[in-house]
Amino acid sequence: MTQPATHKGRIWKTWGVVTVSGSLIVLSWITKNDWLMIAAAVVAGYQIAIAAVRALQVRIVSIDLLVTVAAIGALFIENYWESAAVTFLFVLGKTLEKATLNKTRKALSDLVDAAPETATVLRDGEPVSVEVWELAPGDIVLVRNGEQIPVDGRVVSGHGGVDEATITGESLPAEKVEGSETFAGTWLRSGVLQVEAVAIGPNTTLAKIIHRVEEAQDDKAKTQTFLEKFSKWYTPGVIGGSLLVGFIARDIELGLTLLVIGCPGALVISIPVSIVAGIGRAAKDGVLIKGGEYLERAAKVDAVVVDKTGTLTKGRPELTDVIVLDPAYTTDEVLRFAARAETASEHPLAAAIIQGAKERGLEVEIVEKALPVAGKGIHATVDGREVVVGSADLLDDAPDDSALIELNEHGKTAMYVGVDGKAIGIVAVADTIRDDAPAAIQALHKAGVRVVMATGDAKRVAEHIALELGVDEVHAELLPEDKLALVRQLQSEGHTVAMMGDGVNDTPALAQSDIGVAMGAAGSPAAIETADIALMADNLPRLAYALGLAQRTVRTMRINIAIALVTVAALLAGVLFGGVTMSLGMLVHEGSVFLVIGIAMLLLRPTLKEREGLSVLSPGASG
Amino acid sequence: MSELTNTVLRSDELSCPSCIGKVESKLNSMDGVASAEVKFASGRIIVEHDASKVTVRDLVDAVAEMGYAAKPSAV
Repeated sequence: MTQPATHKGRIWKTWGVVTVSGSLIVLSWITKNDWLMIAAAVVAGYQIAIAAVRALQVRIVSIDLLVTVAAIGALFIENYWESAAVTFLFVLGKTLEKATLNKTRKALSDLVDAAPETATVLRDGEPVSVEVWELAPGDIVLVRNGEQIPVDGRVVSGHGGVDEATITGESLPAEKVEGSETFAGTWLRSGVLQVEAVAIGPNTTLAKIIHRVEEAQDDKAKTQTFLEKFSKWYTPGVIGGSLLVGFIARDIELGLTLLVIGCPGALVISIPVSIVAGIGRAAKDGVLIKGGEYLERAAKVDAVVVDKTGTLTKGRPELTDVIVLDPAYTTDEVLRFAARAETASEHPLAAAIIQGAKERGLEVEIVEKALPVAGKGIHATVDGREVVVGSADLLDDAPDDSALIELNEHGKTAMYVGVDGKAIGIVAVADTIRDDAPAAIQALHKAGVRVVMATGDAKRVAEHIALELGVDEVHAELLPEDKLALVRQLQSEGHTVAMMGDGVNDTPALAQSDIGVAMGAAGSPAAIETADIALMADNLPRLAYALGLAQRTVRTMRINIAIALVTVAALLAGVLFGGVTMSLGMLVHEGSVFLVIGIAMLLLRPTLKEREGLSVLSPGASG
Repeated sequence: MSELTNTVLRSDELSCPSCIGKVESKLNSMDGVASAEVKFASGRIIVEHDASKVTVRDLVDAVAEMGYAAKPSAV
């Protein structure tokens, strides 16, 4: 990214000063020559003084000024070693801080670097290499194996596996065929795709994520706003206070030492570095958190209200059971009759039966003659035989209904399959639970979070699924305002409530909840903009991960504030009761800044473990 | 009144929150800059300026004068 020449220049500018100044100090020790020590102070202090003057020109009293005054003061009272040590340690500290602080911003810069710059566009069928900004919606871009997808778009031809980790945090390649959606910044790992551009550059999902992460990192936690106001008055206060103490005690050295240790360091960066690291780590794992305040709230969540359809379940019916009632037929024959009859139906359940039959390798030829019977089912002619799929009313005799009732009690929709007026079997369909739902509920329970299922569906259906998943509470047949009331009630019981839902009918409850969560947000720009926590992938277990990460971030923030406060207090006591010199003060001070950055960097370690598409919490992330 | 341009610079050298005031004051003191805001956490410098009076290059130079390397952002 940076041109090598200036990069080298920068390294020399910073590390060169540190090296020269440090060497002069060592030489001075060996030769006992004070002039060398003064030279060391000048080399290290020169740039600090320039920075201090520049800040003064725009009427800002900076830390550089504090250090410059202290260093010059030390020269005047002929304490050359202190002067050199303070400036040397300050320059060394700043250099290391820049390097480490950038590491905490790395998650964000990785995202920015992931933005594609060039594309291969098809112009009159010929591939032409262009810059991304030259593209327009509707252009067809060519993506070859190993290349980056340059736009958000739709596959118009070809197929391949795409690594979408940049967007969703999932590195298992996603299968792309004609009609699939693609995201700019993801990588084609196999195959060739032609993609029609829909969104380009700043309009892509990746750009939205970047902006969201930036806004989130800059969004100030409440504690942080307070600290920033505080530090505005702090620096002038320290100068005034130190002068006063030095004057009253008639001890210039004491005044100068106070000046040095008073530099606000660890305290002001303790919160921002933690938030930047926490939000950055989350973004890398496909979890967008809206900001510092939301992190603090998410860390307190102890109840999650989850919508059923599409969140805990797949949101579309699937074939679950095929039962034979007439031993003259096999399971496959029952299913095949049902599926063929349903080819003439437009009922949503028909698709589930046909799909189920195809998945079991059955040929489902379309029937020509069929007659839907309103509210009862369908009547069709299959291979010259009269086939019905639906309720008992479509049959000549009432069959044994025990199997049907049992299926219904399990929340399934069961239908008779009849041939020539006689029941030969039963097919049942149901909205089945998502494969990752049990693991997700388990992870939430492990974190001590109460899981409440809220759905507009029938009680019987809801209760069966709730039992299967082991949720703590189930509320069925709810209207949107009932969901809102449920969230309110949990809050009044003292819970901090996260709400996860996607339907429009969840909107009031989402707004009322402390943390609104959207899942599968990669496909919905609105969700990226509005959700307090957006899980980019359609991955339920990541909710527990997000809450766990929020807790760790808040804990890091608290530890960092404590370290900063204890350092300042200890140094102050040390100076007043004697024993802490200017250089020791600077050393401890810079040390505490590092410690704070180092602790925040621990948040950047990857803790999300993916196994066959299921994510579980690592031991370090729980509790 | 000519039109104002929004420019976002990124710097990876903002190492202490006190840099914010310095850079903001410097940019705001320039003729042609309507507003300047430094976002410490994400390392962004957001400037609203009259491009006919102050170019992006001028902004980068001004930030460099305060001691921080910055470059215009692509996204």
